[in-house]
Amino acid sequence: MFLTRSEYDRGVNTFSPEGRLFQVEYALEAIKLGIGVQCEEGVVLAVEKRLTSPLLEPSSIQKVVEIDYHLICALSGLTADSRTIIDHARIETQNHRFNYDEPMGVESCVQSICDLALRFGENRSSGEERMSRPFGVALLIAGVDEKGPSLYYSDPSGTFTQFNAKAIGAGSEGAQTTLQEKYSKTLTLQECQKLALTTLKQVMEEAITTTNVEIAVITKAEGKFKIYDKEELAAVIATLTE
Amino acid sequence: METLKLSALPEQSKQQPINHGRFEAYVDNGGTVMAVAGKDYCVIAGDTRMSDGGYGIQTRHYTKVFQLTNKCVLATSGMQADTIALQKRLKLMLETYQKEHGKPMSTPAIAQFLSNTLYYKRFFPYYTFNLVAGVDEKGEGWIWTYDAVGSHERVKYSSQGSGNQLVIPLLDNQVAKRNQQIIQGNGDVSCDQVVSFVKDAITSAGERDIYTGDFADIVVVDKDGVRWEKFELKLD
Repeated sequence: MFLTRSEYDRGVNTFSPEGRLFQVEYALEAIKLGIGVQCEEGVVLAVEKRLTSPLLEPSSIQKVVEIDYHLICALSGLTADSRTIIDHARIETQNHRFNYDEPMGVESCVQSICDLALRFGENRSSGEERMSRPFGVALLIAGVDEKGPSLYYSDPSGTFTQFNAKAIGAGSEGAQTTLQEKYSKTLTLQECQKLALTTLKQVMEEAITTTNVEIAVITKAEGKFKIYDKEELAAVIATLTE
Repeated sequence: METLKLSALPEQSKQQPINHGRFEAYVDNGGTVMAVAGKDYCVIAGDTRMSDGGYGIQTRHYTKVFQLTNKCVLATSGMQADTIALQKRLKLMLETYQKEHGKPMSTPAIAQFLSNTLYYKRFFPYYTFNLVAGVDEKGEGWIWTYDAVGSHERVKYSSQGSGNQLVIPLLDNQVAKRNQQIIQGNGDVSCDQVVSFVKDAITSAGERDIYTGDFADIVVVDKDGVRWEKFELKLD
């Protein structure tokens, strides 16, 4: 993949002779695992929390965050970079409410995130926020709007795509195949939850516990997200062993 | 040699500033607009007279009702130049919204957006008095009524402009059924009935108010879109 990278991998403003931007491709490498599954009723997001030490406090890692009542986002990669993105998305959605007295559409929000993802480079003028490299974070954005529930994937290159089910990060190839085999449009929200978690289980090195995964759902009926607490997680994990 | 007859220098009179006419940013071009919302429709009426601020008429064909989307219209009285500036600005922003969000702006969204647009010019306002009329996402008819700086309220009927005071008691009586001794039926009125008494109302305003007259635009907004009808008023 990176055979001819040497002269062209320094700057983000120079394409390689094959028409690639290596800095962007390196950023794409910095991603860890997350899964999203969408159905008629809503969307489920499940992410692995890698607990590198038993002394680490699990609640200090948050990988599913709120953008607005009707929009949530699972992060994978350099989580620090995501703060800029999430801040931006929160401001955009609140601005939309201020201007139009309505929640922002899911695609519009994803679009505004991706606009931000492209604002990097070396020759930026002084007034702008400085970002000399692309964001090293991929996002799964789940939300509901008047078109129903939807799931989007956005990567560091500023591209976004809509998915029914998507796995991102380390080991995502295998997970994506599993999702492809098992997904059907007729799944219920319960089944989606189970599918997301079993797929996650397959690729995870450790066993699933209430501390090393995070689940969030967003339903069409309520139009509001919910991040599962410990008891709710335990209940869902219990269904896996049945 | 004759001696010079010199006298004292004339006293320098104090310099006065040249008196220019003061610049007036605003003129009231008059006119009346009104709107009534029913269960699933809205009726909007506005006369087409444009006065010069006094006894003169600048045109008899200045339409005050502006279509924003196929679910929503804007009716404006006040100053014509500001009205046109506001209409152009809204049209631009509606098209931008359509492209950014892939759907036309809903009527309640327009209502909020107009309020913000007016408030952003809080200290040099558009001299306009607006009514936003249309159907919302559920298909229900609503009117939003504004002052010049963006205060607004969602109502079932309202009027603005020079004939406002003449029209509003009629609407209170006929739409809100105020001060009636006997009320027949459940109070719902059909679109045709509303069109009929809105015509009466604007005709009456034209009789008493010198800034209202010539013609009236009668506009109906419902699930099928926006329809328009020209209605004659007195030319005097």
